[in-house]
Amino acid sequence: MSETACVSGLELLVDYLEGLLPAPTVAALEGHVAGCQKCQAFIASYHATPRIMREATDASLPVTVQTSLADWLRKLRET
Amino acid sequence: MTVVPSTEPSDETLASRAAAGDDHAFETIVRRYQARVYRLAGRLTSETDAPDVLQDTFLQVHRHLPSFRGDSRFSTWLYRIATNAGLMHRRARARRPAEPLDAFLPTFDAAGSHCGTPEQLRVVSEADERIDRQVLAGKAREGLARLPDLYREAFVLRDLEEMPTAEVADVLGIEPAAVRQRVHRARLLLRGYLQDVIGGRS
Repeated sequence: MSETACVSGLELLVDYLEGLLPAPTVAALEGHVAGCQKCQAFIASYHATPRIMREATDASLPVTVQTSLADWLRKLRET
Repeated sequence: MTVVPSTEPSDETLASRAAAGDDHAFETIVRRYQARVYRLAGRLTSETDAPDVLQDTFLQVHRHLPSFRGDSRFSTWLYRIATNAGLMHRRARARRPAEPLDAFLPTFDAAGSHCGTPEQLRVVSEADERIDRQVLAGKAREGLARLPDLYREAFVLRDLEEMPTAEVADVLGIEPAAVRQRVHRARLLLRGYLQDVIGGRS
């Protein structure tokens, strides 16, 4: 399956990353990527995307919100 | 999954006690999960809506604890409630649909090869060197806000909260294959969007 194109490789990527593909398909996909600079570049950025999004949306619980929740719990207990 | 020191009661034990009216047990559950639910709520909605989603989530948890049967882990059940609360807030807020990200999906030439040069296709992996971190973070949040609910929920749970695919499927009530498909689509849309933001549009 040396004829694997970038587009068909991309369709398999998520299943590949979760270890769901049969060995011959894995071999064909890895063979294509090994010889394709575009796929190597694309996959590097595909991997980077969740990390960037995770870092951008990481948030600590503000003290004000924590206090508000504690107040709500107190009222809940009193009812 | 929450790692609980052996001296502390499990989530399920606390849930059982709270359902029986033990306020202290419920408060322990809240303290244990409040930071994670707040972060999840922000990712599903916005920083503005996160406090309301947080409180709504624990209100729903308190109301429905007696119906928690332990068919799934307590944390999965709680995340399901939080995800639904987030969705309700998003729907209540949405006055107009967000501009779709479809234009940022990858493109291919007639031979099925990626359009663009390797340098252009790579820029997202070099984001830290190419763009100010704060600017990138702001743009990343804008991109997440533009994801359709269908993809956003799966992406947030799988890639941002780093839950296993099977647990995401349980939270969302869909098949693992559907989770993988939605997460993949979200990654592609956001990857293309970030490439455009960073300046590597092909």
